[in-house]
Amino acid sequence: MPDKMRIAAEQALDLARKAGVQDVWVKVDRSRDVTHEYRDGKLEKVKDATSRSLSIDLYVDGRYASHSTTDLREQTLSGFITNAVVLTRALQADPWRKITPPELFRGRTDKDLQIMDPAIRDLDSARRLAWCEELDERVRGDKRLISASCGLYDGNSRTLSLSSNGFEGEQTGTSIWMGADLTYRDQGDRRASGSFYPGARQLADMPSAKDIARECLERVRQRLGVVKGPSLKGRMVVDARAAGRLISSLVKPATARAFQQQRSFWSGEIGEKLFSEKLSLVDDPLLLRGLGSRLYDGEGIAARPITLVDRGVVKNIYVDTYYGRKLKMAPTTAGSSNLLVKPGKQSLKNLLQAAEEGVYVTSWLGGNADNTTGEFSLGLRGHMIRKGRIAEPVGEMNVTGNLQELFTNLVSVGNDPWRYSNLRSPSMLFDGVSFSGA
Amino acid sequence: MKRRDFLVATAASGAMLGMPGLLHAVGTGLSSHVPDNPFLSWFNVDEAVMRRVMSELSAHGADTADLYFEHNQGNSIAMEDGIVSSARSWIDQGVGLRVVVGDQTGYAYTEDLSVEAMLKAARTAAAIAKGSKAVPPQHFNASRAGDMYRIAMPWSDVKIDDKLARVRKLESLARHQDAAVKKVTINWSDYDQKVVIATLDGRVVADYRPMTRLWCTVTAEKKGVQQSTSANLSGRYGMDHYTDDRLQALAKKAVDNTLVLFDARRPEAGEMPVLLAAGASGILLHEAIGHGMEADFNRKGTSIYSDMLNKKVANPHVTIVDQGTLAYERGALNYDDEGNPAQRNLLVENGVLRGYLHDSISARHYKVPPGGSGRRESYRHAPMPRMTCTLMENGPHSRDEMIASMKKGIVAETYTNGQVSIGAGDFTFYIKNGWLVENGKITAPIKDCNIIGNGPQVLRDITMVGNDSRMDTGGWTCGKNGQSVPVSLGMPSVLVSKMTVGGEHAG
Repeated sequence: MPDKMRIAAEQALDLARKAGVQDVWVKVDRSRDVTHEYRDGKLEKVKDATSRSLSIDLYVDGRYASHSTTDLREQTLSGFITNAVVLTRALQADPWRKITPPELFRGRTDKDLQIMDPAIRDLDSARRLAWCEELDERVRGDKRLISASCGLYDGNSRTLSLSSNGFEGEQTGTSIWMGADLTYRDQGDRRASGSFYPGARQLADMPSAKDIARECLERVRQRLGVVKGPSLKGRMVVDARAAGRLISSLVKPATARAFQQQRSFWSGEIGEKLFSEKLSLVDDPLLLRGLGSRLYDGEGIAARPITLVDRGVVKNIYVDTYYGRKLKMAPTTAGSSNLLVKPGKQSLKNLLQAAEEGVYVTSWLGGNADNTTGEFSLGLRGHMIRKGRIAEPVGEMNVTGNLQELFTNLVSVGNDPWRYSNLRSPSMLFDGVSFSGA
Repeated sequence: MKRRDFLVATAASGAMLGMPGLLHAVGTGLSSHVPDNPFLSWFNVDEAVMRRVMSELSAHGADTADLYFEHNQGNSIAMEDGIVSSARSWIDQGVGLRVVVGDQTGYAYTEDLSVEAMLKAARTAAAIAKGSKAVPPQHFNASRAGDMYRIAMPWSDVKIDDKLARVRKLESLARHQDAAVKKVTINWSDYDQKVVIATLDGRVVADYRPMTRLWCTVTAEKKGVQQSTSANLSGRYGMDHYTDDRLQALAKKAVDNTLVLFDARRPEAGEMPVLLAAGASGILLHEAIGHGMEADFNRKGTSIYSDMLNKKVANPHVTIVDQGTLAYERGALNYDDEGNPAQRNLLVENGVLRGYLHDSISARHYKVPPGGSGRRESYRHAPMPRMTCTLMENGPHSRDEMIASMKKGIVAETYTNGQVSIGAGDFTFYIKNGWLVENGKITAPIKDCNIIGNGPQVLRDITMVGNDSRMDTGGWTCGKNGQSVPVSLGMPSVLVSKMTVGGEHAG
């Protein structure tokens, strides 16, 4: 059978060259996404669709622009590319903008990253519905329950990339997410809610419906009777499932773009000790079965692990080819894949005991951080820690500070990295944290 | 997936031509840019095909069913370091097909507008129904084109050189505002969204929806310290919106908001009075009450407002509406994404909770007319109840008398984002710029603090409502259940007696 994606990619490449474009990068995507949602004992929504698109990066006389379309028909592609070339020519020449040099393609691994699971790709409707039914049955029964929504989301994708300077790549993958969202009646008009939606590349890596239901029930019950905690300065234990948000805010300015635009508090710190020696961060695109695993990045750079922080010392940042040229820095990769925080040896229980008194954060609500200064302020939900144990549930509180100072005050890292994300962080214990509450 | 919500050139395809008599009643054409026959002109689909696809979609029964055709064509431009360094263009077109039976929804979409592909998608969506065939319409009756956002020229007809000239002008204005300015980034975007909605009961709605947004981000440096922030303009405007005066005001706002950060500090941590400045503070309405009033949450009983209808929830000076019919606003709509006319929906009237925001499913559940609040991100998504332009009406107080009444507190002026937990009612918003108030006077700038509160409690704690209501001119995007839609918000100055402010020097 002819490969329609390859035909479309080759046709686009050919049309662009004929239109006088010097360098071209074409990417064709196809993905199928299937949704099953159950609510309060019955099927509420089924969605099933296959999507495709083509994007083309053009480098014309020193000018650059990117264009995309979902109309891949042969008769319309020509007009699309003609217009794309006209638009690109109208821009300014930019001496830093060039296609990825072929030497960065080299060294690409040929190992199987195990991110395509035929068991997910070939799932049938009956199996999906059976999981939803089981999950739905397991989370219902408590008389405080107002509503239970269960969902199963799965899909598979294929991406094909070709360039005018010899790049060829194909990546395929599957993913599945399943979970429930529960609402219980709480004091007064308040509702308590709890949810858990784990996801994986391989079916075998998913927890059972029984385990997902148990976790959901535990989470919603923990949110009953929440009170506003006090304003205080003290210790904070962040659960593994919430620690990713902090790490994500921390590394957002660790890019060549942020450096070059003078919007990064990491700027000028490569080779310097910026954080606690308890913090080590590696970006690993070759992690087997990882949700962010890949053979090459969006610019075609061959994937390899990159150490961002080693025992508190900044080793590397994300450097793409454009800002790398501007800063005269060697490219590493254009963006994150699987970001791994090196786990410690302590269990969450040990971290709580070590904290003695403070706040245990299980999730965040809103908030933001300034990439230029590192100043942040986040809403939190969790529990007070009293005598080293989890105490009353708290909410309506903020934690406020500076990210660089916060991660300098990182005291200990847990042994429990969160598996269901491309950002795998364990639980963390911080000292000297400012909380605002009642 | 999660219940929490937060506040981001070629002709269309089709396989069949013919039936030129279709939809003559749609619109006047003219400056609303809706052609006489939008199916044919925009999507190359005729009435016979529509009937065939609708018939397949309702083959196993349907309470309602609809086809949502969309063609979205746009451009974005970035200017950095004095060079227009990159641009992007896109064409995103497809059709979403939906069947609703009771509370159950079957949904499919396709980017391929051939008859075969649409029939296949219709069969997929129809599989949720288990009954007998519904009766498809014999004819489609077109609704009148709306006039909420008539612009002189569609964005796809505006020359790139004209856009580049405005981008360069703004960059120059920002760069020369102050010697401390070191970096300026300008981000431009515009798109033309063409939508045609056909329903099982034979209605057809066509809407042309323009959108544009212009961002100015500034980094300034003083004594080796850097600060940066941004400001933006957005709405369903045409090119003529970007006058020299507006560009000057945008550049000044971006630079002023950045320079003030050098002197700004964090307030003390804890509970204190908060004066929410007129305009962008509408984020309070969006998070503290708006999401909780979306009827899907109430139909499921998961909103903290589920049992409060017709009860007193706020000071009698508080009246809050969600109104899609505010011309040229980012959240404005002629029709919602189910083909129902947008309207003014009263949420709170003189302090009493009055009504929810409905899509067609919740309207049927509550046995009320659809409220024009069924929205979706694109043809890839099923619609659900959403806000459009949410605002609070004027009260009797002045901003000055509010400040004079505060012993110690803050004024919240600009924001970056917010979020709400629907069940508990807890919400947050992040203040980028604000002011400290001591003994009835503004004494110092503040920055970077999160505010957290409980929706119903904060409504009760509103003590004064200003007489200076206005809509925010910046662009807001609301996210809910994985779908983003453009919204607008606004309100007068409002004094809340107590909210929890993220600050320093706690304990």
